[in-house]
Amino acid sequence: MPIKGWYYAQLEAIQHEMRNDDSMIFFYELTAPRANVPERIDLEEEFGRARVYNSSINEMWYASAAIGAAMIGSKVVAYIPYQGGTIPFDVIRQHAGKMRYKTGGMASVPAVFLIEESSQSPTLGPQHSDWDLDVYYAHMAGIKTVVPSTVHDAKGLMHAAIRDPDPVVYINPGRLRGYTQDVSDDPFEVAVGEAAVRREGSDLTVVGYGPVMPFISSVAETLEAEGASLEVIDLRSLFPLDRETLVASAEKTGRVLSVEAGKYTYGVGAEVLASVMEAAPGTVGRRIAYTDAPPPAAPEMYNWLQVTEQRVLDAARKVLQT
Amino acid sequence: MPKPPASNPPETPSTQDGSQTEAPTEAGRAAPMVSRRNFLQGLMAAGATVAFFSTEMARAQSDLFRASDISDETLLNMYDRMLEIRWFERTLADRTATGNVRGFTGHYSAGQEAVAVGASFALRPDDYVLSTHRAHGHALAKGVDMNALAAEIFLKADGLNGGFGGSMHLTDPSVGFLGADGIVGPGASFGTGVAFASKARGDDRVTMTYGGDGHWASPHFQSALNEAAVAELPFIYLIENNGYLQYAANDMIRPVDTYTSVARSMGIPAAEVNGQDVLEVYNAVTEAAERARSGGGPTFIEAKTYRYYVHSGAAGVREGELGSFGPDPLLINISRRPEREVRSWLAKDPLAIFRGTLQEFGILDDNAAEERLQAARARVDEAYVFADASPAPEPEGGLDHVFAGQRAPPRHIL
Repeated sequence: MPIKGWYYAQLEAIQHEMRNDDSMIFFYELTAPRANVPERIDLEEEFGRARVYNSSINEMWYASAAIGAAMIGSKVVAYIPYQGGTIPFDVIRQHAGKMRYKTGGMASVPAVFLIEESSQSPTLGPQHSDWDLDVYYAHMAGIKTVVPSTVHDAKGLMHAAIRDPDPVVYINPGRLRGYTQDVSDDPFEVAVGEAAVRREGSDLTVVGYGPVMPFISSVAETLEAEGASLEVIDLRSLFPLDRETLVASAEKTGRVLSVEAGKYTYGVGAEVLASVMEAAPGTVGRRIAYTDAPPPAAPEMYNWLQVTEQRVLDAARKVLQT
Repeated sequence: MPKPPASNPPETPSTQDGSQTEAPTEAGRAAPMVSRRNFLQGLMAAGATVAFFSTEMARAQSDLFRASDISDETLLNMYDRMLEIRWFERTLADRTATGNVRGFTGHYSAGQEAVAVGASFALRPDDYVLSTHRAHGHALAKGVDMNALAAEIFLKADGLNGGFGGSMHLTDPSVGFLGADGIVGPGASFGTGVAFASKARGDDRVTMTYGGDGHWASPHFQSALNEAAVAELPFIYLIENNGYLQYAANDMIRPVDTYTSVARSMGIPAAEVNGQDVLEVYNAVTEAAERARSGGGPTFIEAKTYRYYVHSGAAGVREGELGSFGPDPLLINISRRPEREVRSWLAKDPLAIFRGTLQEFGILDDNAAEERLQAARARVDEAYVFADASPAPEPEGGLDHVFAGQRAPPRHIL
């Protein structure tokens, strides 16, 4: 299988779906939907401006336009760069999420909102290096929220999201954009609502998603050498949340550590721990997350606040001793 | 004896619903005479060089341009539809005032019938329409079933949307009615998206969004117009200027006199029309739809009209009387609706105007008008009987329709 980059794999999925459905539309701003390796993909060149539309800088508009288009049955992907990640919040909340429900099933919004999170780098400052919108969308009624952590899942979740009859917020971790992986040319789906057990273990379950998965994998390797067996779960889907996989793992290991790039209070960790401890009381549950603060610009301060591999390792060791 | 021209309001306003009882005219009593409309059509057939196909000249002589392309039957259907909307809303307002309703029933569009009907009849059945929170008239004009509409307003199981949405979320894609909306503003952006998708498919449908005075200051207003112009979308943005946004008079919220200024500055064709005259609205939307269908892009229309009731609710409503008068406890103090303001608009009632026009055309006499009124009232009564008789939804039904094909697991029960 060819080696593909993250964005390439996503474009390949979108291209396939657009070839199979003449009415499908792609809205974007700033970043052209184009990649060159291993093959050239250029959505605008292939499908034209009537279907691949470079909007003015107005995420609110084209997220809304995506909702309108989807209401008459056109599949849509609307790419929202991280700077505008919460600008369409209200139309996604009040209209996309509630459309099927408020019409008693008479109307629906089969749209994908491909919303970036920043690449989380120092020096850019608080508005451009944050990770903070996943739970806002995950909490919305009528919205499915997914976050891939591998190139394979980036492609598979894109196919699944586009084919889903309901609105999907597909969160794109900027930090993982540089990843490459062997990925099939063929279309395939990674089901929405299914977590992945990346590694089986018996002493401690570490749960994460998106940009922290590489750290967790690394930590599992390190601790294995020290004689600890970690089970690693990649959530992939924040809503619907795969509680079945989480609880089964908690029952097996008795210890759960949640790791996330988002903020601590009301974060994904809160939901993960509540879910496992309700169903498997007696589980030792802990979480680490980003502090309830924006990220600073200066690298000394920025780097110190990060959820890093070292922080995950330290936390895992502590939980193993509990 | 000379009759007043059809474009002036009638001299004797009483009940302004087509049930007025002005003195019988010669047109109503005599044997059918050749109406002015027939006369003009005869001229055309005789090949007279009537300045008819020139839009500008026709505009200057608006009597010539009126309704030439509408059959008598359609004109009467339009009249019936306006009657139905009027009596649907009056019934709802009266029942709300007497505490005889279920659900939220506050946003009446009585007074604005000409806009809904003129616009809807200028569009095709497969064109798309998006509406506001004041949607009953828009929905009925587009062809939504009146029984299902009434049942939905009363939040019943047989309602259009299963009792899930009520008055502010009425939606029926099968007739192109993409929905009422409880949020002010985004309908314009949604509409441009519908138009975008429509154009991308290569169909020749038109999308129209209704807005109110409250749309002007929404960030969606300029956004939608900008993108519609840039992408040359088959989109009509029709603002019903009824003088108010909720409780504030519209002169409080804009630095210019017309909502058309933004569209014009973007090169979008824009028109201000008399929203009390169904045929003026019809003509304006017809032109806009033709422009859209032929690839000419968007149009902006501001229709000046008035609502006889307050923004929300039945304050000041007396059963059996059209309109609401007296203090509204929710009114913002510095912006009131004086009684004479309401009554001056009642004197320009869209139903009375259209009735006069149809009488002028010789296709409606007093007896026929009365018959049509009673028939409309009977249909409305039937719809409310249906709504009253429909059962409430099952309590657990609220677990449905969150996502396709599945029930949400209940979380309030341990």
